[in-house]
Amino acid sequence: MNANKLRIMVLDDEPIVCKRLKPALEKQGYEVDTFTQSSDAAERIKQVEYDIIITDLKMQGVDGMQLLTDAKKRWPKTEVIVITGFATLETAKESFHKGVFDFIAKPFKLSEIQDVVSQAEAKIRNS
Amino acid sequence: MWSLVKQLVHRYVSRKTDRLSLAQVFEQFQTLLQNHQKAMELIADLAEKAGGDYVFDRKYLIDVVHDLQDELLRMVQGLNIISANRYWLLHEALDRIFMPLQAEVRGRLLLKEAPYVVSLRNIPLDTPELTGGKANTLAEISQKMSLPVPNGFVITSKAFRRFLEHNNLEERIHAHLEAWLSGKEELSRAAGQIRYGILAGIIPQDLAREIRSHTEERNTNWAVRSSAYGEDGELSFAGLHESFLNVPSDEVPEAYKKVLAGLYNQEALTYRVRTGVIGEETAMAVLCQETVRSLAAGVVQTVNLEEADSDAMAVYASFGLGRTVVDGQDSPDRYVVEKEPPHRIVTQDIPSKQQLIRAASGGGEEEVAVDPDLQDRPSVSRETIDTLVKWGLSLERYFKKPQEMEWAVDESGKCWILQSRRLVLAEPFDRSEKDICDSCALYEILIQDKGAVARTGVGSGRVFTVRGNEDMNKFPEGAVLVTQFTAPWLAQIVPKASAVITERGSAAGHLATIAREFRVPALVNVEGALAVLHDGMEITLDAYHRLVYAGQVSELIRYELLQSTVFEESPEFRLLRRLLKRIAPLHLIDPQSPEFTPDGCTSVHDLIRFIHEKAVQELMDLPTFLQRFKGARVRMLDSNVPIGLKILDLGGGLHPEATGDHVRAEDIQSLPLAALWSGICEPDVWSTEPVHVDFKGLMASLTRNWDALGEGNHLAGFNLAVIDTNYMNLHLRLGYHFTLIDARMLEEPQHNHIYFRFVGGVTDMTRRSRRAQVLAQILTEYHFNAVTKGDLVVARLLHLPREEISARLKILGALIGFTRQLDIQLRSDQDIPKYVREFVDRHGNFTHSLMPGGANECKQASNHGAGR
Repeated sequence: MNANKLRIMVLDDEPIVCKRLKPALEKQGYEVDTFTQSSDAAERIKQVEYDIIITDLKMQGVDGMQLLTDAKKRWPKTEVIVITGFATLETAKESFHKGVFDFIAKPFKLSEIQDVVSQAEAKIRNS
Repeated sequence: MWSLVKQLVHRYVSRKTDRLSLAQVFEQFQTLLQNHQKAMELIADLAEKAGGDYVFDRKYLIDVVHDLQDELLRMVQGLNIISANRYWLLHEALDRIFMPLQAEVRGRLLLKEAPYVVSLRNIPLDTPELTGGKANTLAEISQKMSLPVPNGFVITSKAFRRFLEHNNLEERIHAHLEAWLSGKEELSRAAGQIRYGILAGIIPQDLAREIRSHTEERNTNWAVRSSAYGEDGELSFAGLHESFLNVPSDEVPEAYKKVLAGLYNQEALTYRVRTGVIGEETAMAVLCQETVRSLAAGVVQTVNLEEADSDAMAVYASFGLGRTVVDGQDSPDRYVVEKEPPHRIVTQDIPSKQQLIRAASGGGEEEVAVDPDLQDRPSVSRETIDTLVKWGLSLERYFKKPQEMEWAVDESGKCWILQSRRLVLAEPFDRSEKDICDSCALYEILIQDKGAVARTGVGSGRVFTVRGNEDMNKFPEGAVLVTQFTAPWLAQIVPKASAVITERGSAAGHLATIAREFRVPALVNVEGALAVLHDGMEITLDAYHRLVYAGQVSELIRYELLQSTVFEESPEFRLLRRLLKRIAPLHLIDPQSPEFTPDGCTSVHDLIRFIHEKAVQELMDLPTFLQRFKGARVRMLDSNVPIGLKILDLGGGLHPEATGDHVRAEDIQSLPLAALWSGICEPDVWSTEPVHVDFKGLMASLTRNWDALGEGNHLAGFNLAVIDTNYMNLHLRLGYHFTLIDARMLEEPQHNHIYFRFVGGVTDMTRRSRRAQVLAQILTEYHFNAVTKGDLVVARLLHLPREEISARLKILGALIGFTRQLDIQLRSDQDIPKYVREFVDRHGNFTHSLMPGGANECKQASNHGAGR
């Protein structure tokens, strides 16, 4: 594992998603911050550059779409992975092409997200 | 009056729906089957999510419940269209079953359903909000792990709320807490005032009555202890709440109040503020258990805290009650034992024990001197230590975290588990997250990226392959279960296994469900596993990454035990399990039982089963059927086997060029019927041992009508198959036997099923039940899930690949012939294994059975089956 750990933000208003992703990604050797309030996450990205942001789209308050737009504007190198309910997946895919690394439909397997994160990491490390 | 209206409505609707054409009826039936399939898939999906391999959210659970309700509603409507509205009562059953499900997903705990007092035996699991963490854990230990826990009952958090309400205490408590937190009141004063209020409160009559009904059940004294929400779970309140031991029955209500008051002692309040759970104390439940008058008692810690990175555990023991060890002045006996079998004792300290605490005869406890002869002796035997070590390891394996188990040995020498909680380690040692992957890379990988995860996690042990029933009793505690199939009877060894690896099966299958139930990491459908994994090999399964390592990957195992979270204990997984409990179990098995009614349905699966069965019956109800089938194209199968089978082809079941009223076996294109028929036509099915009967005579008896049973002439030899390319619904009335087979075989295994039902016979019930036993045992040999009741046999099989379904239909074909005169032959129970053996020997070439080679082994296998 590379010495400098990648920083990952996980944003989902359902605590269970954060609770499951955090240990799984930490075990892979990443540093993980989780948020269930999109406003808190929005505040956070003003100060911190995350390597990877994993976010849901449909949430209370600031929605995930807004957050990822802001994040990409501020930190162009940040890779964004969108996790969303199956019903909204296609709409999500169609609705924007603004540099989202990948989409994953909920519910998903832990290994799926770990694979996508590894791919994002490879991209980051190679650039 | 109301019933008259019902009748009128009924008649009106009946008349209307009678006009449905045959095509419409079958269209409805097919749609119903699709809804049935969809609903079963939703359930399977949901069950799979309980294995920890997926990340899901509450929204998903809401969606599934919603979709499931939609499918069920369509099924109910479909059945009512087919049946001329005869099952409109199903709408009520649908509401009855789905309303609590809806309430669950919306997060409204069903307080209306919740009891004030519930016995430990009947505690609903996964509701720690109601019964508290300690009681929930004990209920799991006793209900799931079948380890001995003293009897008792829980005064639930609902009762606590009732008590507060009755005495107008809630506001007072809040006022004092707020005053304290805002610095207006001293902690000691706030705590004192609250406690005084509770102790002076009156237990409402209804609650008092319920408590009494439980204490009066047994002539014993009670241990009364707190079981708060969060206690013994993520938070440890160990020792903060008071408990009262050896309380006489009539003093239980008073002790109850004291325990409630204990929730507000200064230490407990400070602790709750520190951990941020102040204000959540409404979830207080109180546990009352029979006092174990223990000769010795103590604590087991599954990690030896003094040397935490060694693979050893510690056992503490002393004479008298457990309090001697926990609070006592003397040092207890202490053993350090290796976790690996044979659990060698590494060190033992047996200090002199002067005092012991015991239950006083009039209630309460007393401290007395230990008999001078015993003072320097060990307080427990080697056997007791072995038992405790075994239990400790089982608890750790199940709860996935180091455990601290309190135990006692009673006057008869029997061991009991008093409680178990997570052992909190002062400092997580060996914190080397980033090194985990590196360490694992040093081990040889035996299997990679194969199979489906039934329950995620890490498990390690020696491989033990189970090939047949005879291997079952030899399965060692903590071994890795490796097996080719996921036969239902394997379920009983799963709790003993540290991991499960199977070559076949799906994550939605029965064995997968059992693995999740007992939290055993499991990987199913791992092709070629048996060729790689041999008995006695030490391996580690990492189900997170679908990897099997050679050897014991101790870094990974330790990481799991100390670092990782136990997903089962999160509220969403609890909710999922509570939902599954109302959805997945099947209670309605026997369509002839008086409970087989809409009212008898207690789960969504029951509803599905009921509707399916009734739809099939509706279609096959002969008088209506014949009426409906006027003009339908029913063809006759010409064959050497004179069953006189009529065929109704819904599409693609027969060769397109077979246009006449008579068809031949070669014309059958329906895969299930073709497979079954090939079994029926096996040369020795109809004409050999065990009885030499003249063929004509035999056929005469076979096609004899049901007059003897008063069924009337029209049923005589009415044998019908409704088919399409991949589906078959077959009804056979041969002699006095009635067989129903419903089968579907598509390319995707998850759509496939066989349902087999057999009933009837000419002899007395004893012989007929023997035959049912023979059938069930044969079916089990071929991996069916078979149940018998009297002379009825119902067997099911799900999700196997097409070829496997085909082979089993062939077996069923042969079985139909084989059973024809079995009941006449079965003179005693000893005949059962003989005939099971005979069948398997004769048709063993069709497909793999579980039965081993030698005749001696056969007896064992069958005995096992009979005892089921």
